[in-house]
Amino acid sequence: MSSTPTADLNVGRYGSGHAVRRIEDPTLVAGTGKYVDDASMPGQLHVVMLRSPYPHARIASIDASAARAMPGVVAVYTGADLAAAGVKALPTPGPFPRPDGKPSTAAPLHALAVGTVRFVGEAVAAIVADTRDAARDARDAVMVDYEDLPAVVTIADALADGAPLVWPAAGDNWAARAQHGDAKAADAAFAKAAHVVALELVNQRVAAVAMEPRGVLAYPDPDTGRLTLRLSSQMPSGARDTIAEALGLAKEDARVVVGDVGGGFGMKTGAYQEDVVVGFCAKTLRRPVKWAAERGEEFLVGRAGRDVETRASLALDADGRVLALRLRTNANVGAYATTTGVVIQLLIGPWVSTSVYDIPLIDFDLRAVMTHTAPVGAYRGAGRPEAIYITERLMDAAARKLGLDPAEIRLRNMIRPEQMPYTNPMAQTYDTGNFPSIAKQGLALADWNGFDARAAASKARGKLRGRGLATFLEWTGGNVFEERVTVDVSADGYIEIYTATQAMGQGIATSYAQLAVDVFGVPIDRVRIVQGDTDRGQGFGSAGSRSLFTGGSAVRVASQRTIEQAKDLAADALEASPKDIEYAEGSFSIVGTDRRIGLFELAAKQADRRVYVDATSSVSGPTWPNGCHACEVEVDPDTGEVDVVAYSSVNDVGRVVSPTIVVGQLDGGAVQGLGQALCEQMVYDRETGQLLTGSLSDYALPRADLVRRFRTELDQSVPSVNNPLGVKGVGELGTIGATPCVVNAVIDALAREGALERAQAMQMPLVPEKVWRALHGG
Amino acid sequence: MNNFDFHTPATVADATRAIGAASDGRYLAGGQSLLPAMKMGLSAPSDLVALSAIAQLKGIRVEGGALHVGAGETHAAVAASAVVRGSIPALARLADLIGDSAVRSLGTLGGSIALNDPAGCYPAAILGLGATVRTDRRSIAADAFFTGMYETALEPGELIVSVSFPVPDKASWQKFRQPASRFSLVGVFASRGPAGVRVGVTGAATCAFRATALEAALAREWSAAACKGVAVSAEGLNADLHASAAYRAHLVGVLCRWGVELA
Repeated sequence: MSSTPTADLNVGRYGSGHAVRRIEDPTLVAGTGKYVDDASMPGQLHVVMLRSPYPHARIASIDASAARAMPGVVAVYTGADLAAAGVKALPTPGPFPRPDGKPSTAAPLHALAVGTVRFVGEAVAAIVADTRDAARDARDAVMVDYEDLPAVVTIADALADGAPLVWPAAGDNWAARAQHGDAKAADAAFAKAAHVVALELVNQRVAAVAMEPRGVLAYPDPDTGRLTLRLSSQMPSGARDTIAEALGLAKEDARVVVGDVGGGFGMKTGAYQEDVVVGFCAKTLRRPVKWAAERGEEFLVGRAGRDVETRASLALDADGRVLALRLRTNANVGAYATTTGVVIQLLIGPWVSTSVYDIPLIDFDLRAVMTHTAPVGAYRGAGRPEAIYITERLMDAAARKLGLDPAEIRLRNMIRPEQMPYTNPMAQTYDTGNFPSIAKQGLALADWNGFDARAAASKARGKLRGRGLATFLEWTGGNVFEERVTVDVSADGYIEIYTATQAMGQGIATSYAQLAVDVFGVPIDRVRIVQGDTDRGQGFGSAGSRSLFTGGSAVRVASQRTIEQAKDLAADALEASPKDIEYAEGSFSIVGTDRRIGLFELAAKQADRRVYVDATSSVSGPTWPNGCHACEVEVDPDTGEVDVVAYSSVNDVGRVVSPTIVVGQLDGGAVQGLGQALCEQMVYDRETGQLLTGSLSDYALPRADLVRRFRTELDQSVPSVNNPLGVKGVGELGTIGATPCVVNAVIDALAREGALERAQAMQMPLVPEKVWRALHGG
Repeated sequence: MNNFDFHTPATVADATRAIGAASDGRYLAGGQSLLPAMKMGLSAPSDLVALSAIAQLKGIRVEGGALHVGAGETHAAVAASAVVRGSIPALARLADLIGDSAVRSLGTLGGSIALNDPAGCYPAAILGLGATVRTDRRSIAADAFFTGMYETALEPGELIVSVSFPVPDKASWQKFRQPASRFSLVGVFASRGPAGVRVGVTGAATCAFRATALEAALAREWSAAACKGVAVSAEGLNADLHASAAYRAHLVGVLCRWGVELA
C-alpha cells in the first residue's frame, strides 16, 4: 500500500505569499468567459423595458394594445399588472428615523412603476417578445399618457420651501437622520479651540460603470415550476431572498446562479427591479426570459454612489492637535431611499470619519434627502471615501492655517501603536495598526521632502507642481463574519471548493486556490474554486472587501478539517492508528515508515469516491486596512489641466496571499479614486431632471493615460488579529486614498500661486476649466 | 435598427445613380457616426450606398502645390501616408488623433466633412488650410462648404470625390479633448501658405469657423507671441456640461499659440 508522490510539485511557488498567474485569466482574457448575455435557453423570450422620460409624472394611462398585436410580441406588462398579480415592492425603509423623530418613510420601489414615476429611466412597462428586436420595436408602440409633475434633483432644491415632494406621505423630502457623538462636549471644544477650520465639501455622484452591464436570464423548471435566475451579481443569496420575497415565492422555490461577472464595484450587490420583472415574466409565461441592460440603462438605473454635501469643521489646539470633528451632512439618496443607500451615508462612512487620528470628540448630524433621481447604493468604498475625503481635506486645511507641514499635523494626531486595540468615537475598535510607521514609510517612498527641487524643475517647464497626502484607514467586512465552505476531494484528482463569496474579476478564486495549496500541498491546478449557486451554498456574498478575510479564512479552516477527517480514513486504509498518520504534499503516511496513500487515491477508496467536508467558520471581527498615499501633480497654467506625475503608496493590508492581485486591487482602486477627483460625475439637469451624463460620451471615465506609474508597496508587519490568516481587506483602499490625495495636490499647486481660497472652494471633479478659473480668478 | 437596402457600387456614377433612385438614401462612407445613429433609431434611411469599393475615391498625391486626398481614404491611411507626412505633417497628425484605431480604420475624410459634426476634426483643417472640396459635379471652396450645424453646401445626392489642400509652409493641429467622448472640446488648425494665414477652429461652436482676430495677428507676425493678448470672442460659442463659452474662447487662443510655437 504505497503511492509515489507526484514529481516536482513546485507547491512552494503557488502557496500564499507568492505572485501566481490568476487561474481565472486564461478563460477571461481569451474571451471565453460566460456572462449573463452569453447564456441562452432553448425557447427563451426577450424582454425590454419602457422607461420614463420624465423625472416626476403621474401615469394617467398605458395603452399597450398596439404593441401586443405586433409580430413576435408575447406579452406587455405594466406596474398595475404586476401589482394585480401580487408582486411586492422591493424593501425601501431605512433603519433611521426622520429628522422629526417619526419613522422613516419612502416611496415603495416597485419593479415597474405604479401610478407615479419618480426619476428619468424608471421602468413603466416590460415588453416580452421572441426576439430583442421585436421587443424593441413593440416598445415604441406602447402609448403612455404622462401628467408631468414638478421635480427636484438637487439637495438644495429638495429642501427649499414649497419644494415638490418625492413622497408626499413623508410631508417633506427628508428620508432619515442620524446623530452621532456628543454635540455639547464638541461645542465646548470648539469654543475653547485655538484654531477652527471649516470647509464646504461636495462629494459628487459617480457611476460604477462595470464593464459587463447587468442582466437576467430566468427560467422555470418545466416539471416543478421552480424558478432559476441567472444574474450578474456579487451577492447571489441576498438577491435570491429579495426576488423570492417580491414574487411571493418561498426561498427554496428560487435559485440564483452566477457565471462570470464583469465587474461589480458594489453596484451589483442587491436585487434590482429588473430582476423581479424578468422573474415574474418567466414564472407567468412558463418560459425562459432574458433581459440584458444596455449601457445607457445602467447609467439611468444602475446604483450610483456618493452624492453628499457636507459642512465639516475641525477644532484644534495651539499645537495642531484635533479636539473635535463636526459634520453636517446631507446625502442625496434619490427617489427611493433604500436601506443600503441610507446606511452607507448615515452609518458606515461615519465609522471611519476619525480615521487614523486620535480625535476625542465628534458631533455628526447626518441626513438623507429624497430627490427625483435614481436611487443611490454602494460604490467601491461606500461611505468611507466620502468620510476620508472630508477628514483629509480638513487635515490639509488645518496644516495651512497653522503653518504646519501636512505630514507633520497628521503625525501629531495619529493613534500610536501602543493604543491598540483602539476604540474610536463611533465605538469601532481597530484591532491592529501602526499608522505612524506606515506614514513615515509613505513619505519616504514619495520623497516628500525632496519636493522643492521637483517643483522648481516643473516651473522651468512652465508647470505648477503640487503635492498631496492622505493617511487613512478603512473598515472592511459587511459585519457578517460567518462563511460556509464545502470541500470535495474527488477520485479524479481534483479538490473542488465551493464558497458563497463571488468572483467578479478581482481574482478571489486564485487567492482561495493558493490558500488551499497551503493546506493540501498539491499543485494549484488540482484545485477548483466553484461559486455562484444558491443551491450549493449560501452566504453574504462579496462586498465591503470581505471575501478574503472571511471566505479565505473559511477556506483554510475547511481545508484543514478535510485533512483531519481524511486522516481517519487514511488510518483505516493503512491499518494504522489515526495518531500515527501524517499528511504532506498530497499523501498520508504512517510516521516513520514508507507506507503511504495519496489523497486522491484515498478518495477513490471511499464508497462515494470522494472525501467531502461541509464547514462553517467565523472570524472575530472586521479588518482595518490603512495606508499612506502621496501624489504629485502638474497643473498647466494656460488650461488648468491636471497631470498626475507621481503616485506612490505604502499600504498595510495585513498578510498578503496574492501579491499581484493585491497590488492590482490597490492600483485599480486608485484609478477609480482619481476618476472621481478629476473627471467623473453624474449630472442631472436642474431644470428638466434629465440625466446629462447618460453615456460614455459625456460621463468621463479615467483613461490609461491618467497615471504614468504607481509605486505601490505593502507592509505585512502588522497582521490583523481578527482572522486566522492575518489578512485585511484590500478591494476599496486605493479608491479611498486616491481621491483626497489628488485633490490635496491640486489645491497645493494653486495655493503656491496665491490662490488658496479659490482652490479650497473648488468641488470635484477638478476638470480643467474649474482649475483654470481658480488659478486666475473669475 | 430598421431594415434598409444595401448597395455596393463600383463607380461614382453608379453611386450617385443609386442614391437618386432611393427614397431616403444615405452614402455609407465609413459609418462611424451614421451606424451608431441608426442603431439608436435616430436615423432610418431606406437605402445605404456603400462607397468603400469605389476606386475613384481613393488616392493620395501631391500635384501643382496641393495635396489631393481621395474622399474615401480612411483616417488611418491619411495618418500613415508618407505623402501626407511629407507635405502636410499636421494633417497626418490630425488624422492620427481622431477617435480610436477602430474609428480610424473605417472613418473617411469624405464622410467626416459631409457630416460636419460640430466637433469633427477635418472641418478645422479644411478651413485652416483653405482646401477645395471636389465633388461629382463641382469644386467648393472651404469657406463656402460648411454652412451650419451638421450642414454643408452639398446638394442632395452630391458626392465628395476628393479634397485638395494647398501645401503650406507652416501648419499645426492642436486638439483639446472633451474628456469623455475625446472629440475636440476645441481644436485649432493654423497654417501659413499659399492661401495666406488661416486659423480653423472646431468644437467651439455649432460649426467650424475661422478665428479671424488670430489670423490678423499672425498675418502681421507669425509667432506665438503674436497670439498672446488676442481676444477671442465667446459670443455664440458652445456652453455645455464640459466647458463654458468663455473657456472655449480662451482655449482657441491657447491652442493657436501652442500650435504656432510648434509649427
